[in-house]
Amino acid sequence: MNIIEINNLSHRFADGTVGLENINLCISEGAFVVIAGPNGSGKTTLLKHLNGLLLPTKGVVRLSGVSVAKNLAWSRQMVGMVFQDADSQIVGETVSDDVAFGPENLCLDRDDVKRRVARALETVGLHHYKDQKPHLLSGGEKRRLAIAGILAMEPKVLVFDEPFSSLDYPGVKQILAQMISLHQAGHTILVAAHDLEKLIAHTDRLIIMQDGGIVRDGLPSQLLWELEAFGIREPCASRLGMKVHSWLN
Amino acid sequence: MAELNVLGFHAGSSVLHQLDVRFKLMFLVVISLSSLKAFVPSLSLLTLVLMVALIHAGLPLKMALKDLRYVFLLLLFMFIARSLSVPGSSVVEFKTVSVTREGLYEGAIVCWRLVIVIMTGLSFVLTTRSSEIKAAVEWMLKPFPSIPAKRIATMMSLIVRFIPIIFEQAKKTGDAQRARGVENRKNPVYRLKMFSIPLIRRIFERADKLVLAMEARCYSENRTDSLLSSGVRDWIALVGVVCLCLIIIL
Amino acid sequence: MNEKGLSNIGSSTSLRMTVYASLMAALTAAGAYLAIPIGPVPIVLQNLFIFLSGLLLGSGWGTASVGVYLLAGFLGLPVFAGGVGGIGRFAGPTGGYLLGFLPAVCVIGFISNVSKTNVVRDLLAMVCGSLIIYACGLSWLKILTGMTLGKTLAVGMYPFLPGDALKMAAAVPIAKALRPVINRE
Ligand SMILES: Nc1ncnc2c1ncn2[C@@H]1O[C@H](COP(=O)(O)OP(=O)(O)OP(=O)(O)O)[C@@H](O)[C@H]1O
Ligand SMILES: [Mg+2]
Repeated sequence: MNIIEINNLSHRFADGTVGLENINLCISEGAFVVIAGPNGSGKTTLLKHLNGLLLPTKGVVRLSGVSVAKNLAWSRQMVGMVFQDADSQIVGETVSDDVAFGPENLCLDRDDVKRRVARALETVGLHHYKDQKPHLLSGGEKRRLAIAGILAMEPKVLVFDEPFSSLDYPGVKQILAQMISLHQAGHTILVAAHDLEKLIAHTDRLIIMQDGGIVRDGLPSQLLWELEAFGIREPCASRLGMKVHSWLN
Repeated sequence: MAELNVLGFHAGSSVLHQLDVRFKLMFLVVISLSSLKAFVPSLSLLTLVLMVALIHAGLPLKMALKDLRYVFLLLLFMFIARSLSVPGSSVVEFKTVSVTREGLYEGAIVCWRLVIVIMTGLSFVLTTRSSEIKAAVEWMLKPFPSIPAKRIATMMSLIVRFIPIIFEQAKKTGDAQRARGVENRKNPVYRLKMFSIPLIRRIFERADKLVLAMEARCYSENRTDSLLSSGVRDWIALVGVVCLCLIIIL
Repeated sequence: MNEKGLSNIGSSTSLRMTVYASLMAALTAAGAYLAIPIGPVPIVLQNLFIFLSGLLLGSGWGTASVGVYLLAGFLGLPVFAGGVGGIGRFAGPTGGYLLGFLPAVCVIGFISNVSKTNVVRDLLAMVCGSLIIYACGLSWLKILTGMTLGKTLAVGMYPFLPGDALKMAAAVPIAKALRPVINRE
C-alpha cells in the first residue's frame, strides 16, 4: 500500500523562484528511501510538503489517501520531521520538557504524555538525561533529542533532512543505527542527503533530484554509477568496483 | 557564560520542595510584604525562620555567597546613602556630610528587610522547578479569558531556552569581528551597530526555523494542562505562614 | 485522540510574532551581561534591546515581550542577571528601572512606526521611553535610599546619559536594517 502519494506537485515561492516542478511520486509503507541531489535541488522543499509546512502551488500530496492540505494537523502528527539544524528545533528547557511539547499540543492527558515521553527517550537512549538542559548535549545527542520529540507524537512516517550534517563519526553511527532500528520497527523513512556513503547500504530506494524535479528513481545499486553526473559523490567503495558496506560494522 | 544565575533549582526532598507552587508563591508575596512592616525583633525572627528553611532546602552556601557579592555591594551602597541622608543626631561629622544615629538605624533596617525579601525569593527559586512555575502561571491567568495563559507559559520556556543560545551567538559574533580587527574602530555607535545587527539577524533566522519546527510538532494553544496538586501539608504551611505574618505586623 | 487539540493550530503569523517576542525578551535578559568594551566603561546592551523591542515589535508585541520577561523574572525563572532572581530583584535599588521597562517599551512602540523608519519619530520615542525608565527607576531609588533628588540624579541618571545617547544613535540604523527582516508581508 502507498502511504505517500504525490501527483503533479509544483511549488513556486513568493518571490517567483521555482522550488519544485511537476513531481510525481509514490512511496509504499515501510520503505526506506533516500532522496539525493546537490544543494538547491529542492529536497527540503519537497519534504516540507509532506506535513504541510509548505502547500502546493499545483497538485496534491496525499497521506494514506488523505489530502495533506485539508488535514494539516493530522498530517503533522503522521509525518514526523527532523530538520537540517537540530539545535534550533528544540523548544523545551529540559530534555523531557522538549519531548513533551508535541504530545501536549495534541491535548493528550498528562499520564499519556508522561508515558510517551518516557518511551521516546528510552528509544533514543536519552532517558538518563531527562532533566538535562538541551544546550549542554552533544551534536549527536541533540539530534537524537529531536528524533525523540518526533517519536513522542507516534508518527507513521519519519523524515530526516540531512541527518548527518556536522556530526562526528560516533554521532553518525548513533543516528544511523537509530534510523535502521526505527525502520525495523515499521516506520516509513525518508532521508534527504547529498552524501550517500553513510546510508546507501541500508536503503531500498534512491531518488535523485535536480533543479526541482525528480530525474532518477530506482534501486540504489543500479543508480550508483550515474550519481556523479548529477553532482552527487559516488561512494568510495563503489568507485573502486566493490560493494558498499554498512557504516555500522 | 551560559547561564544567568547559578542559583537556580536544586533537586531535593525538603518540605519546601514538596509544597505546592501556588502556596509557595503566596507565601513569597505575603512574607515579602509583611517584612516591610517589620522591625528588629520580628526581622530577627524572620531571618531565623528563613535561615532554617534555606539550610533545610540544601542551599549551596559557598556558591550563594559568590553569586550574591554584587547584591552585597548594592546593599552597602544603600546603607551608606541612608545613613548620610537621614537627619538626626550625628555620630561622625566630616566637613558637610554627617553620619547620623537615626540614619544608621534606618539604613540597617531597610537593608535587612531587603535581605529578607532576597532570602524568601532564594528559598522559592531553589526549591521550584521551571515547569511548576509555568503551571502556576497558567493557573493564575486562567480566570482572565482575554489573556492567553498557555502562550505566556510557552513564551517563558522559549526565553529560558534561548538565553544560553544568545550568549553563544554573541560570542561567535564578537570573535568573528575581533578577527577582522573591529577593535581598531573607536566609534562606539559603529561598534554597537556592527555587533547588534548580525546578532539580532541570526537570532531571528533561528526564530524562523523554530516556528517551522513548532508547527511541524502541531503547535497549538490548546494544550494539555499542567499538573498541580495541593494537599493537607500546604494548608498546614499556610496556617504557619499566616501566624508568622500576624506576629510580625501586630 | 482529542479533536479539540487538532482542529486548533495557531495561525502562522501569530506564532511567528510569539517566537520573535520571546527571543527579543531572551535578548533583553542576556543584554544585562552583554557589553561592548569601549573606553574605560563597557556599554551594557540591555536598554538598547529594550529600545529595539519597542521599535521592532511595536507597542503590542513589545509590551508582551517585556511583560513576560518581567513576570518570568518575578516568579523566579532564571532570567535576571546578577545572582538574585525573583522578587528580591524588584525590591532592590535597581528594581524601579526594571519595572520602568514595561511602560517604556509600550510608549516607544506607540510613538514609532513599526513598518517604516522615521528618524525623528524613532528618536523621540526612545527619549520618551528613557524618561519613563528614569522616572520609575529614580523614584524607587530615592524611596529606598532616602537621598535628596539632586543626589539621586547624580547617582542614578547622569552617569548613564552619554551611554544612552550612543545607544539611541545606534538604535536608529539597527532598527532600519532589521525592520524588513521582521515585518515581512
Ligand atoms: N523561501 C524561499 N524563497 C525563495 N526561494 C527559496 C526559498 N526556499 C528555498 N528556495 C529556493 O528553492 C530551491 C530549492 O531549495 P531547497 O532548500 O529545497 O534545496 P535543497 O535540495 O534542500 O538544498 P540543500 O542541500 O542545500 O539543503 C533553492 O534554489 C532555493 O534557493
Ligand atoms: Mg535542504
